Amino acid sequence: MMPQGVAGAGTASRAAGERLVAHVLLACTVIAVVTLAAVLAVLVREAGLFLADVSPWRFLTEITWAPAAEEARFGVLPLVVGTVQIAVGAAVFALPVGVMTAVYLHQYASRRATRLLSGVTALMSSVPTVVYGLFALHFVTPVLQVLWPGVEAFNALSACMVVGLMILPTVTVLSREALDSVPAPLLNAGLALGAPKGRVVARILLPAASGGILAAVLIAMARAVGETMIVTLAAGNESRLTWSPFEGLQTLTAFLTQLGTGDAATGTREFQAFFAVGAVLFVGTYGIHMAGRMLVSRSVGRRGQ
Amino acid sequence: MKRPAATTDAPVLTAERLSVRFGRSIALRDVSLAIPRGRIVSIIGPSGCGKTTLLRCFSRMNELVSGASTSGTVHFAGTDLYGPDIDPVEVRRRIGMVFQETTPFPKSVFDNIAFGPRASGFAGDLQGLVEEALTDAGLWSEVADDLDTPALELSAGQKQRLCIARTLALKPDVLLLDEPTSALDPEATARIESIIRALSPRYTIVIATYNRWQAARLSDLTAFLDRGELLEYGLTETLFTNPREARTESYLTGRTQ
Repeated sequence: MMPQGVAGAGTASRAAGERLVAHVLLACTVIAVVTLAAVLAVLVREAGLFLADVSPWRFLTEITWAPAAEEARFGVLPLVVGTVQIAVGAAVFALPVGVMTAVYLHQYASRRATRLLSGVTALMSSVPTVVYGLFALHFVTPVLQVLWPGVEAFNALSACMVVGLMILPTVTVLSREALDSVPAPLLNAGLALGAPKGRVVARILLPAASGGILAAVLIAMARAVGETMIVTLAAGNESRLTWSPFEGLQTLTAFLTQLGTGDAATGTREFQAFFAVGAVLFVGTYGIHMAGRMLVSRSVGRRGQ
Repeated sequence: MKRPAATTDAPVLTAERLSVRFGRSIALRDVSLAIPRGRIVSIIGPSGCGKTTLLRCFSRMNELVSGASTSGTVHFAGTDLYGPDIDPVEVRRRIGMVFQETTPFPKSVFDNIAFGPRASGFAGDLQGLVEEALTDAGLWSEVADDLDTPALELSAGQKQRLCIARTLALKPDVLLLDEPTSALDPEATARIESIIRALSPRYTIVIATYNRWQAARLSDLTAFLDRGELLEYGLTETLFTNPREARTESYLTGRTQ
């Protein structure tokens, strides 16, 4: 016979176990929050010290970065331009291909083709970016140089194309989700009005999913902004203000990797400058990401019937 | 097999031994019926009986569902709609369909109505065509001043009238309405019903409805479907007052749903 006390003890130990689980989960959450807070605190503190010394206006608008010069210059603009160039350039390559792939998967592909393409997409996402970088440097750039002899060994075009390749799975998968969220009766209504499928896709499906597709591109662009390895390998790491896709450039992230070389001594203005650049990068990627999120929620609201 | 009941009007649509399968399940079994020109025909029956499937056969919409297969024939004014040379896109322009869910496109009222004509390469007076379609659907007076309004901002009843107008703009021969009022309140429903009545001399109208009283109010002929089979088809008055089949009677009297 089961004495009553045993059941009571079981309940008590189970409650203690559940409390323990809750505490462990809380501890994990706290680790994440504390880490984020620490990252932000370091970033704000060092960037703050830097901006107390160099005016934010000069930091954001000067076009040269020469910390070692006699009159040190800390213009972040070339890095911002380089970053924008890579992000926009990558989107120019990834947007049409990614969206058209998503439309194909959504409307035309057989089940087998869908499975195959989903596998390819997953594989593309798992390629390390350094491999993409080497591909850019040793394959894409030589091909570009054959086509346009003026292309430099380190150039923005190759970086844009290969970063575009890297963000392609993101654009495809998120665009597909945007297309999936368009109600099927809407497409049936278009077809029932005697419109050919292509017209229904172009005039109903894509406009109805446009908010989600734009969000997909923005989120992918945020990834492109944060990309370091491909850009360093393909576009070099030389700070200069240029819009030419045939020349090398430097992005915010590629610049930040130089902190690892240990040339800037801790506590110096040059050292703090890295954190100011990091802050610009953080604000940029966070802003793009939030804009993407906002578009997603807005487009869902707009479609609600 | 029960034959179409007494009407001397020439049929515009004739289904012969029509069966539809979705994968392994049979949605429609050996249905034969004729839809006379210029009349309102209701298809009633419990949910899942095949009303919508039958309606979709007339505009070749079932083939858009993967795994669907249709056998039997549907003749439209003497032509086999499922013949090898028939373009389903052309069929859908002649036989218009309005769905249960309101489906305004995320465009202006004008662009919604103009969608079908533009898709079929209409080159005439589009403005006039849009006005006529909206007038016929009883929506013109409400939207005339602002045709640029996004269609998504209309009320539920207005959206459904917009969908009807959108189909009318194609000037189809037949209008298929799939549960057109199931999502609407009684007032909006009454509005749609009066529009359907007003359209009836000019258009042949086939309505699938779960609402037997709507069928009784609106239609000249009523077909009763049960589990994919056509059990009874005849003049609405006869079918409602003196049904031949016991299952029809129990459905009409509410003993089965």
